[in-house]
Amino acid sequence: MTTSRPSPHAQNAVGKSTDHTSETDDLTAMREVVRTQAERHQVVTAPRWPGGARIAVNFTADFDAMLLRRLLDEPPMQRAKGEFGGRVGIWRLLELFDGHGIKTTLFVPGRISQLYPDAVRAWARSGHEIADHMWEHRVPADPQVERTHLLRSTEALEQLSGRRPIGTRSWHSPELLAELGYRYNSHDAADHRPYFTTHDGFRLVNLPFHYAFDDAQFFSFAWLDTDNAAQRIADPERVLELWWDAFRQQYRHGGYLNLCLHPFLSGRAMRIAMLDRLISRMKQLPGVWFTGCEDVTQHCLGLEEEH
Amino acid sequence: MPWKDGYTISDERGLADAVLHWPGDAACCFGITVELGPACGPGGITARDLDTPENYYGLHGGLDALRETLAGHGMRATFAVPGVIAELYPEIVRALHAEGHEIAADGWRREDISLHERAEERDLIRRTVAALHAATGEAPAGWYCLPRAGDKYAVGAISPDTVPLLLAEGFTYLGNSPADDVPHYWVADPAGPVAILAMPYYYAFDDQFHLLFPARGTGLEHADALERNWRAEFSAQYRRGRAFTMNLHPHAIAWPNRLRKLDDFLTHATALPGLWNATAGECARYWLETYPAAETLRIEPSIWQYHEDSLN
Repeated sequence: MTTSRPSPHAQNAVGKSTDHTSETDDLTAMREVVRTQAERHQVVTAPRWPGGARIAVNFTADFDAMLLRRLLDEPPMQRAKGEFGGRVGIWRLLELFDGHGIKTTLFVPGRISQLYPDAVRAWARSGHEIADHMWEHRVPADPQVERTHLLRSTEALEQLSGRRPIGTRSWHSPELLAELGYRYNSHDAADHRPYFTTHDGFRLVNLPFHYAFDDAQFFSFAWLDTDNAAQRIADPERVLELWWDAFRQQYRHGGYLNLCLHPFLSGRAMRIAMLDRLISRMKQLPGVWFTGCEDVTQHCLGLEEEH
Repeated sequence: MPWKDGYTISDERGLADAVLHWPGDAACCFGITVELGPACGPGGITARDLDTPENYYGLHGGLDALRETLAGHGMRATFAVPGVIAELYPEIVRALHAEGHEIAADGWRREDISLHERAEERDLIRRTVAALHAATGEAPAGWYCLPRAGDKYAVGAISPDTVPLLLAEGFTYLGNSPADDVPHYWVADPAGPVAILAMPYYYAFDDQFHLLFPARGTGLEHADALERNWRAEFSAQYRRGRAFTMNLHPHAIAWPNRLRKLDDFLTHATALPGLWNATAGECARYWLETYPAAETLRIEPSIWQYHEDSLN
């Protein structure tokens, strides 16, 4: 009952396939991939942000807390490490963003919204977007169960935030997302700008999520099951400079930046202080549109209508 | 509350900055935990682990240098000492105790306690207490289950029996938990509630994950990142009025250029007004008195439903 569809981000498998087909078949299959990829993707090359803004910045937080640790059957102290996100980190991030008066998106697994309802309500009350992060941070292999999960998560979030989510960070099937009213996904990076993907009769907005802008890659020990020699052990100063550099580059070119934070990591006091400095630096420049993913999605959909 | 099993170990919200106060209106609680003894595997310290140059350094030249540095700043630490180290180096443990450092337990041989059955675990706890008592004349108030550098997860390991056993054996606190950055209650049974006070631990402030990590030879040196983590966290926690805890291993941190970084950091920290340098036991006793579980532990009822298709 709990078999799951593996995350497409199980990157360790990339390039390691042992499947073999005959050379001709393989080339045919490759041509088909190239053709459908080209048909499926359409990049927003001229975003024309509202008010002449030069860049749209989506600060996002994935409120997994200990759920993924639990899902991966990690030991009690690992789950307690995630619990920091629910007890402490989620509140500090809210205070940080509200202090700067910027709107963000909180991606919440339905289960976690029921464990920490006060936190989710508080984010919604402050005007932040509450979006889906899968019922329990997995996508069931059985499509019927998958539908039950997404519906349950959607309703749980709607009940707390008062609004039905239109966004997700997940690998739910596009068809199911469309059926339940979802307009965007923020889980992949086929481009550094927002892009549309076309499916059977509908389109989804995609807001690029990239691991270079994920706090976990820098701060979470054993992230994605990595072994000890692969740990990054980054200090906040290093990440501040990397992210500031990325922001500057996008700012110059009229782009987009989506930063992914985990309350159990970025909620640590030293990292909140780092994010405070990062946001303060960003705010010194004119034309920075800090907003939630929903606003960027609506803007992109509006551009599409103009066409 | 069966749903909490396997998900949370404490209440849903930690104590906010505004309600935290330290003795004498101090601005920040400053804790130093020093693990005594050599690096080891999950089975704990063996004769082979002891028969290393690092072990010699960590119990002699390295330890002496670290003690001198701490003394230079008038700072006291909590030494997390495995039972076997107290058996093998009783005079060192006794001297540390006499200098005013706290001696706490760090397993019998710093083994992964979760690999043991309940009866074995109780036996290991009792043997450790006896060894520390013999060296210092006191039973330890705290029990650590800190991570080893080679562990899969840099958090430490605990068994389902650990907290109930520690309470039964009279311990005041559990030395390490990553669920908060100030002391908090680790709830073994929410119905009681049965809970032990847990002290904050985080790998970003632990030298062993930065200095020739994961192991000598191929390990990478990130002494610079370690120092920046200490400084960034301390300054943020000081501003918030919370706590800062760092974890040291003499065989690693005492190497002269690294020790200078520690020395510089301690100079910086102690120059600020209102620093409360407390051992873990002192901090725990203050916390239990000021923020007792009966008043501050707020475990909310579950609204979680059972679902056939879910983890539950």
